[in-house]
Amino acid sequence: MKRVFYLDGQTVPFTSGQNVLEAAIAAGMARQIPYFCYHPALGSLGACRQCAVKIYPHDDKHPPRVTMACLLPASDNLQLATVDKEVHTEHREIIELLMLNHPLDCPVCDEGGQCHLQDMTVQTGHAVRRYSGPKRTYHDQDLGPLVYQEMNRCITCYRCVRFYQDTAQGDDFGVFGSRDRVYFGRLEDGPLESPFSGNLVEVCPTGVFTDKVFRHDYARVWDLQQGPSVCPHCAVGCNTMPGARLGTLRRVRARHHPEINPHFLCDRGRYGFRYVTAAERPVQARLHGARSRQDVVLRQVAMRLQEGRSGFLGSPREDVQSNLALFALADCLHAPFAALSSPWMEALAQQCMALPQAPTLSDVETADHLIVMGDLGGVAPMAELAVRQALRNGAQLTVLASQPTPLAEAGDYRPTRPSALPDLITGLAEDVCLQGSRRPVILAAAETLGPAGVHALRKTLARLPANARAGVFQNSPNLFGAAYFAVDGHTARLQHALRQRQIDHLLCLAADPLGSDWGAGTWRSLVPGLQGATVLDMVDTDTVRAAEAVLPTAAFPERDGFFINYEGRIQAFAQVYRREAPVLHPQENVNSFPAAAGGQMHPLGPPTPQYWLGRLAELLDIVKPWQERLAFYQHFLCPISPHPDSPGVLLDDALRARFEIAAAPAAAPVGTEDWELDLFHWYGGETLADAAAELQSLAPARGLRVSADISAPFATLSGPCGRLRLPVIPIVGMVAGVVALDQEGFAELGLYPGEAVQIQWEVAS
Amino acid sequence: MSLPTSIADLQDAALIARLQALVAESPVPAAAISAVLYALQDARGYIDDVALHAAARLTGLSPVRVEELCTFYSLVLRAPAGRHVLRICDSIACHLAGAQDLLAQAQAHSGVALGEVSLSGALTVVPHVCIGLCDRAPALLMDGEATGPVDATSLARCLEQWEADPWKPF
Ligand code: SF4
Ligand code: SF4
Ligand code: FES
Ligand code: FES
Repeated sequence: MKRVFYLDGQTVPFTSGQNVLEAAIAAGMARQIPYFCYHPALGSLGACRQCAVKIYPHDDKHPPRVTMACLLPASDNLQLATVDKEVHTEHREIIELLMLNHPLDCPVCDEGGQCHLQDMTVQTGHAVRRYSGPKRTYHDQDLGPLVYQEMNRCITCYRCVRFYQDTAQGDDFGVFGSRDRVYFGRLEDGPLESPFSGNLVEVCPTGVFTDKVFRHDYARVWDLQQGPSVCPHCAVGCNTMPGARLGTLRRVRARHHPEINPHFLCDRGRYGFRYVTAAERPVQARLHGARSRQDVVLRQVAMRLQEGRSGFLGSPREDVQSNLALFALADCLHAPFAALSSPWMEALAQQCMALPQAPTLSDVETADHLIVMGDLGGVAPMAELAVRQALRNGAQLTVLASQPTPLAEAGDYRPTRPSALPDLITGLAEDVCLQGSRRPVILAAAETLGPAGVHALRKTLARLPANARAGVFQNSPNLFGAAYFAVDGHTARLQHALRQRQIDHLLCLAADPLGSDWGAGTWRSLVPGLQGATVLDMVDTDTVRAAEAVLPTAAFPERDGFFINYEGRIQAFAQVYRREAPVLHPQENVNSFPAAAGGQMHPLGPPTPQYWLGRLAELLDIVKPWQERLAFYQHFLCPISPHPDSPGVLLDDALRARFEIAAAPAAAPVGTEDWELDLFHWYGGETLADAAAELQSLAPARGLRVSADISAPFATLSGPCGRLRLPVIPIVGMVAGVVALDQEGFAELGLYPGEAVQIQWEVAS
Repeated sequence: MSLPTSIADLQDAALIARLQALVAESPVPAAAISAVLYALQDARGYIDDVALHAAARLTGLSPVRVEELCTFYSLVLRAPAGRHVLRICDSIACHLAGAQDLLAQAQAHSGVALGEVSLSGALTVVPHVCIGLCDRAPALLMDGEATGPVDATSLARCLEQWEADPWKPF
């Protein structure tokens, strides 16, 4: 039976456990009850006293009384009223008190247009200020490049501190003082340290915390073009709502996804979007490093392809459709194709694909026993946030990592060498704790586990009770999408063709084989056989800079497409806006019509990869077979296309099952005396986000992270593909015999996590 | 404040030993925070940044948490105070009984604004929230000792005495 209560005579449905305010908001009746401190993710507090309703008890002993809706559990047939003199007085007078010290700066406040305080003030009818005394004023703090503070606007709802300290478990932000002088901030000026700091902007119902990046390229929210998108910065695939104005992207906010990110985003997801507006972003076609007309560049690339000596390289950084389009083109030209830049990555992707269905992040929040391997937060911050919610619910957490990661500090840290992980995972099958828990979840950073580790994880899961779930994370948005085409040995075949000089041209889709992609060291060693590379990309990379031809592509909010996240969930994103960019340099443009007169093909910024590939097919006269191939692949691999507003659909199990036959990968043996490599990741780092200046101003120093008992200032590492000299960064609590390095470092050396490395330590003079 | 600080920065071995004993006695380290703060305040006159970070280290709380407590509790001082601290209640009962006059008198005696240290270094006067002595209003705390009712003459006598006394009572 549907359970209801009555508010002003209207029925309000509720589910058990809900409070009256929550149920009223869910029923779309929020206009009747103004509120501030209640937040669906933060719960009720009763701090603001704004959400008054009158309750009519069913007995005749108690008179009707005014009470707080957010603290009143919903129960059957409650009789509540807001159309009531006392309730109105309460609403009006509380808001008047809250507004007493509020500055009159609405016209210049960044919250304007989506200010909960403004809405509630107007809604409750507090139109005229009676107070004319002096107002309380505060000094604002400089909280770093991401969040702007204007404390005078505070109404002490405590949402910010509840989010920061309780939800995100950050410890550098708090609430100071008492009575009418309460301050929300840091101990002193300085950047907020939490990877989730940007959420302050969304949880604060007033203009105290606003988006500092948006501030510098500001538009009123009603002027923004917004649309449903998916975060392209890691495998979690959080849902986002980018906002653009006049052809430029201004900000990114969280978009509700019930199972991934109901309310929040990490700072990489919120601020990484600045790759779209970065000055270095390629927006015009280039030939030999110089800007050139699109048709000239296309003709040159088509000519290359016609020679029949080209290889094709896709990327987990690109969406499903673009990778498919590339694959189809390669197929039509009978050219070698690889979806991933290294055989190691290929094996890893296949092992990830073969894992049984991963838990959603909301499943993770309800886990009672968690095992986390590697620096989960550095790779997929929102997965860390989910783990922290499980911790708050009393879950037990064990962290197997080589470094004391932020999560390790919150749980039971077991210092572990990455090469030991596969065996440890196999041992987990006998773990009594895991056997005995009701909802055990294992989460890992994919690259730290490596193919052998993920393989061991699958075998272990098969031996654990069926309630045990596992998920592995990577920092590209579409590893699963790319894994689809990652047929065994494709990458090796492509590299072999280049080595044997069967091909001399590489067409790269958002791949950076000469820069920081996994396996870049190998690619660099093959450069002598390379006559030229063509790159389709939306960020400036080493490969873009070295390429013969560059075909710039639309950024993700500038087009639609699909990503497949770590769960194998196909999620669609929609085009949010059209970029407006001058197409050609005035000098190059003298003979053509001005853009406004229709003289150019694409006056609105870079087109999609499919567009470029289609044009190439046109020039090569293979449009029809290309389209047929593409349609076939789409039908076979991605038969369902979810709508951008839907929660997405999970990949078919049968499709995934075929990856189970992939050969069991072997990890290179590491001696106990050897120095061993692990991956260092920071929460803001990822190829696209690396071009976001504000976020990157917080990046930790580059260096070799090693246990604090090593005192050398510098170290030189050597691997099969190169040498690397780095400053040494001592880390207290790091496992002896392990050094942690960023992905670029791995690319340079030609090594992988869990492998042994030669190190020469420089002695301090 | 973000400079790396250690407990040793307190530069008082006896104090450090006392603080460590307080933490050891406590069921969990964090529960010792009030005792630690009072001991630090007794020894140093107020909770300066070194003391704040030392308290955080000792109890395992973050410096932000310690600052939250310091700024919430009116008996913890985060600014330098004189050798003697006079807290005059100005809540409702004492207000009605003339707390404002006592505050004005004490402030005039100190010669500086409320909350500041008198030139002689002997005195800091602060208004204070109700100390639960409403039945003996106007009430005050003289170096932590509750007294009431107080009138202009007894206040003046006490202030004279403090001025003459170079020692802190504790
Ligand atoms: S800063 Fe914002 S979120 Fe925090 S208490 Fe004030 S109004 Fe609420
Ligand atoms: S966790 Fe990943 S997908 Fe989610 S917001 Fe952060 S970077 Fe984007
Ligand atoms: S929302 Fe109910 S008291 Fe604040
Ligand atoms: S009002 Fe002064 S002691 Fe209570």
